Amino acid sequence: MSAATRTPDSAATRLSRLLALVPWLTAHEGVTIAEAAAHFGVTSEQLQSDLWLLICTGRPGHMHGDLVDIQFWDEDGRITVVDAQTLDRPLRLSPDEAASLLVGLRVLAQVPGPHDRGALAGATSKLEAAAGEALAAADGLSVTVDTTHDPEVSAAVSRALAEGRRLHLTYVGSLDERTERDVDPMRLLGLDGRTYLEAWCRSAEAVRTFRLDRIERAEVLDVAAEVPADAEPVDLGAGALRPEGAPVTLALAPEVAWIAEEHPVDAVADLGEGRLQVVMPVADERWLVRLLLRLGSSVTVMDRPDIVERVRAEARSALAAYGTEA
Amino acid sequence: MSQKDRTERLLNLLFALMASVRPVPKHVLREAIDAYRESPSEEAFERMFERDKDELRSMGVPVETVEGADGVGGIEGYRVAAADYALPAVDFTADELAVLGLAARVWEQASLGPAAQRAVQKLEALGGGAVVDGPVGIETRIATAEPSFPVLLEALRTRRAVRFHYRKPGEEAPAAREVQPWGVASRRGHWYLVGHDVERGAARVFRLSRVVGTASTHGQAGSYQVPVGVDVPAMIAASTPRPGASTARVRVAAGRANGLRRRATTSTPDGDDDILLVPYSDDEALAADIVGLGTAAVVLEPESLRAAVVRRLLVAAGAP
Repeated sequence: MSAATRTPDSAATRLSRLLALVPWLTAHEGVTIAEAAAHFGVTSEQLQSDLWLLICTGRPGHMHGDLVDIQFWDEDGRITVVDAQTLDRPLRLSPDEAASLLVGLRVLAQVPGPHDRGALAGATSKLEAAAGEALAAADGLSVTVDTTHDPEVSAAVSRALAEGRRLHLTYVGSLDERTERDVDPMRLLGLDGRTYLEAWCRSAEAVRTFRLDRIERAEVLDVAAEVPADAEPVDLGAGALRPEGAPVTLALAPEVAWIAEEHPVDAVADLGEGRLQVVMPVADERWLVRLLLRLGSSVTVMDRPDIVERVRAEARSALAAYGTEA
Repeated sequence: MSQKDRTERLLNLLFALMASVRPVPKHVLREAIDAYRESPSEEAFERMFERDKDELRSMGVPVETVEGADGVGGIEGYRVAAADYALPAVDFTADELAVLGLAARVWEQASLGPAAQRAVQKLEALGGGAVVDGPVGIETRIATAEPSFPVLLEALRTRRAVRFHYRKPGEEAPAAREVQPWGVASRRGHWYLVGHDVERGAARVFRLSRVVGTASTHGQAGSYQVPVGVDVPAMIAASTPRPGASTARVRVAAGRANGLRRRATTSTPDGDDDILLVPYSDDEALAADIVGLGTAAVVLEPESLRAAVVRRLLVAAGAP
């Protein structure tokens, strides 16, 4: 494995910061150590130690005039770059860096939302010009997001967000129930290929997320949105949207191992021969009954005999409509 | 070697390579940099120098190897041209910086996250302004939980083959594969590798979540070329099921089965119920969806779909 495929070690991360630090300080003359530390997301101690390291380096010979010269011993902690040597400009983008931003911009171009399309196009063409050859790394890397939602719905949602207005939604939930409600939009969330509207639901009086492809109709109301100040946005650090509810333990046959890929699971254990045991949070037991009906004998519920009985009872009732008995 | 010493050594090497317009011979570098001069043997120096050079290149530093003019293929030395080193001056507007911030945050939970952060640092170091985290009304995240993701991306970039174990759905044991990557792509939240399967001698699409363990690179860099005109997203789309040409007639209870209603082309009231016409391609796939609806949906036609539903209901009812 080449050096580049290893997780970059801390020396590379630090060097990368140092190479960005010198031109940033040059462009922001007179910033304080605390301000620079905050900008680079490090402690003031770390930033000072970075500056000490920098002023010990320079052109071979290390004679007077060969070294980086930065002064940062003022009482008010202000930093002045006296001689940046050859580091006065930021290093060009590496292939991974160019690809991450460019593919990120391409994702944003696909998702609906109130973000400025002109700025998106401008940033993309300027980035392409700045990245040069490094852009080739973005060639084989692509992201396609789900765009099966109704364009009229996404246009209404984007407009409500941009204008800060209330929406009236017709929504089909995960249990196929159709509901009508007024919501005050907060954000659009693109999570792992799907788009959600995050909003303050005036019926539930709580923050709710709505899958855009399940919104049948969205009407922008002539009412200003009022999101309560204490409404908690969804924590995106937790990854995909996770249902809240008691976990259920399931054993999955190889052909339905995809369940562990499609749904958030708390734990996965290998049972051998391609079988998996998963612990999965379930927000609504009716949803679990549906899943079990769909999957038949490929799934075994390990810890909930009452759920097993509900599935059997529902299947027996459904069979009656076909003139068949179990 | 501490992290501080290594950072200092890399920085001094960078300065030495940028200080001269002429390529710098290796022996000159060994004398010029303390850590190289103090290395115990020629071999130890060589190893250290090769590693440092790779490290600088992986960060994007254009370290140039200059061949000797003597015509025998020797290396005269190394250099970093100042013009190639620097990020071209680009003047982003405040709105453009805001969308660049959104673009960087796409990878917040992904292996490309640190690279995106470094890219933002570099763009901000141009002095035009800061990438703000302010609310724009949209946040997008693409996760790369698969441990092979960074390996595959690097292999794709350097054109090296990868080897991994792959478990196809319904197969008990994973099988060894060797693939020349053509593309790494996410479609609807899932990551795929598309490439030439060396053993099968044909193009294949692999789902990354089905790779068992971690992929490893194999062979030399630049060992293959991606065929011209390859459309990776189209190949992935073609490998996943699509709606088909059959039509099912399904009776659904009033106000229920709304997901199925949205797939229907027509809906006709019939007493308290509605009769839906639903286009589909695969009996088993639609049967699974309809069985999930329990008593809310009953298949009227075709017979093959009715039979598939009844078979599944018998299993779900616990029939022997």
